[in-house]
Amino acid sequence: MNGINNTIRQFCFGLIFLVLTVSFIQADSTDTSIDSTVAKEAKTDSVTVSAASPGIPEEPPDVSGTQSDSGSLFQTKRINALVLMTIFSVVILLYTKWAKAGKPLFVRKISGLDQVEEAVGRATEMGKPVLFIPGLQEIDEIETIAGISILGQVARITARYDTPLMVPVRYPMVLAAGQEVVEQAYIEEGKPDACDKDTVRYVAGEQFAFTATVNGLMMRERPATNIYMGAFFAESLLLAETGNAAGSIQIAGTAQPAQLPFFIAACDYTLMGEELYAASAYLSREPLLLGGLKGQDWMKLLFVVLILLGVLLAGLSMGDWYLSLFESV
Amino acid sequence: MIVAFFFNPERSFVGGLESEVLSWVTIVGGFTLLLGVVSLVRVNYSAVKRKSEDWIFKLATLISVFVMAIPAILPKNVSSLFGRDVGSIYDWLFNYVDAPMMSTMFAMLAFYIASAAFRAFRARNAEATLLLVTATLVMLWRVPMGEIALKSIHANLPYLINTYIMNGANLAVQRGIIIGAALGAAAMSLRIMLGIERTYMGK
Amino acid sequence: MQIWLIPAYILLILTGVFLLYLAFKTEDRRYIYLAVAFYVIFPVLITLKLPIDISPEARQLYDAVESLPDSSTVLLTFDYYPSTVAETEPMSRAALRHLFGKDCRVLTLTTVPLGGPSIAERVTREIAKEFGKVYGVDYANLGFKYNYVAVLKGMGNSIEAIYPADNSGTPLSEIPMMADIKNYNDIDFIFLVSDNGVVDYWISIVNAQYGIRVGSGVTAVMAPKFYAYIGSGQMTGLLGGMKGAAEYELLVHKPDTAVKGMTAQSLVHLFIILSVIAGNIVFLSGKRRRKRGAA
Repeated sequence: MNGINNTIRQFCFGLIFLVLTVSFIQADSTDTSIDSTVAKEAKTDSVTVSAASPGIPEEPPDVSGTQSDSGSLFQTKRINALVLMTIFSVVILLYTKWAKAGKPLFVRKISGLDQVEEAVGRATEMGKPVLFIPGLQEIDEIETIAGISILGQVARITARYDTPLMVPVRYPMVLAAGQEVVEQAYIEEGKPDACDKDTVRYVAGEQFAFTATVNGLMMRERPATNIYMGAFFAESLLLAETGNAAGSIQIAGTAQPAQLPFFIAACDYTLMGEELYAASAYLSREPLLLGGLKGQDWMKLLFVVLILLGVLLAGLSMGDWYLSLFESV
Repeated sequence: MIVAFFFNPERSFVGGLESEVLSWVTIVGGFTLLLGVVSLVRVNYSAVKRKSEDWIFKLATLISVFVMAIPAILPKNVSSLFGRDVGSIYDWLFNYVDAPMMSTMFAMLAFYIASAAFRAFRARNAEATLLLVTATLVMLWRVPMGEIALKSIHANLPYLINTYIMNGANLAVQRGIIIGAALGAAAMSLRIMLGIERTYMGK
Repeated sequence: MQIWLIPAYILLILTGVFLLYLAFKTEDRRYIYLAVAFYVIFPVLITLKLPIDISPEARQLYDAVESLPDSSTVLLTFDYYPSTVAETEPMSRAALRHLFGKDCRVLTLTTVPLGGPSIAERVTREIAKEFGKVYGVDYANLGFKYNYVAVLKGMGNSIEAIYPADNSGTPLSEIPMMADIKNYNDIDFIFLVSDNGVVDYWISIVNAQYGIRVGSGVTAVMAPKFYAYIGSGQMTGLLGGMKGAAEYELLVHKPDTAVKGMTAQSLVHLFIILSVIAGNIVFLSGKRRRKRGAA
């Protein structure tokens, strides 16, 4: 264990040294290998910006430059992204490793997720189904994957209590993934025959056609519990208000900032942003997943420190070199 | 794709590989649309065949799919009604049936927002009261009549709302949520790529 | 203001108050829906000319486009569904009027499969006719291609590789204006009009990696999120909802549907505020009564 700790310490020091070296190079750099597209700079330098509001910067930051540093193999201007990505990956993996080794990890209470089992219990008592919507995006979007992961957990609870489950989806690939997850959940609960083939159903590919179908489903079937976990857009309030009118208890989770106010106004519990991504780890309590969650939290703390440092340096008018470290190209 | 991000596409093979992969993604992605149509037709056809509950609406769905799709894919040199150009059946159905229906559904939000606001904006505690006051100010600021009302209180009030609420509190909170959500998404993506997170596969 | 409007609007206010009273009495939310419907329909018959302040964000977008040299190439996106045309189409129209007025070459595309290409086609042709612009010389419509991330990234290398032909099937090599528009290096500004999350990808892929300035018009619900991008300089200007569209219409000196819609929007907002205040008065007086009863 000491050997591992030493290796990790050395690796971290190496990374810090790399960051300092790169910042020194970038601060001093007159990189002649970059094709700075003079024509583009000429086009973009005649900007008049209204600075009547403090939210608008007086000069837009210099993001000129092509995607490619023609001449060099490696895109040196993107080394900051590489360093951050490396630190991020190392921290996540470290915590995952520690979690696997049995280190206890504290995760704060998320009331929306604590209520899922109770909400399903309510549906069982009332003899009504549970409605679960894994968002309105395709399976390749991370929010949908998070929603499908939570669906697996919810399906296990509904399988345990023999509660009917309805999962309308918008895309056929999400249908396939949802069916797989629900079937697996029922198998794990020892009730493979109880799984209905039509639990996960494809309803419509268009946003409002989907919404109209689901609203109709809510008003006819009157589910006792509605769980919305994934990416939602304009239909969020339509779904939530209809669910409210139908008398359902509603738990929502989305990482779309524009839709959070609607869910907060109309639902009983709302998971905001990263709480959605933490849900699968929170519900399953699997050490590996919890470890990843902790690593993510430490990264957020690192970003907070970096931001505060930047604010301090900018306040002392010493922030230019620091800002140049985070220039995106 | 991650590796290609860090290498010069003009100087390394990854650039060409990335373009090739992106082109293939575009092509293959088109086929998943076909998969959706097949799934929709299969599910609705079996419901119509069995004459299950509300089968008439499922029949309407099937008819709509084919009435819209078939004229659109027929060659336009056969008739100006075919294809997707202006004046075709597809164009007409889209502009006069589909688009109004979509707008209607979106317009319902106005009613739902009114009832949600009526129910949710209650001064139950200090935070709820702050939410209520802020929401009222922003709602007034966003409409001309409201701006007139705000200016009658203080000439600079709309400017102050823009500065301190929209470009102040709102901006800070949105940044926090965006950064948090992005970190969460990145962590989850990393877990999926490394095979640590397999709950979405049912494992 | 015409004198007969005063009793009309007094009647309007009294109707709203009466419907609100019924909503409280019967606890039926449909009276609220009726009031909203009334306040939306009434201004269609009687529209007020209201003074509209231009926000700094709309001004920034206008100035950015105005500062482009004439004959610049601008990519205008129609990334919105037909459901949001009330908010977003006025933005597209005003943007096209501004761009055609400056003799800019306009390249349009959409990342929305349902309706995007049709809307782009219809709106650009209509506005182009006003200015006597010729398709293929002054503007072109690339249409839709699946998987917008691949499209956005791919256009950085070659637009023709992603869009071999335009929306009507004409090969790009046969379109005169595309002869010198090969990739993002040949585009001077990107004007997004969108109602979905694709704006984030335009910023993170196109603005961050290729350095092209991006300005956008989005729905009112999405607008608060993009103040963060304005603040960091990643976005040059923002139009939020129908009010933003009305501001841009006034800036290009062509008031259209968005300006007309401001009356209805104002009335509905005021009604909602009234209902919230009334609801709170009832709630707080009920709370006080219960406390007194308990004491």
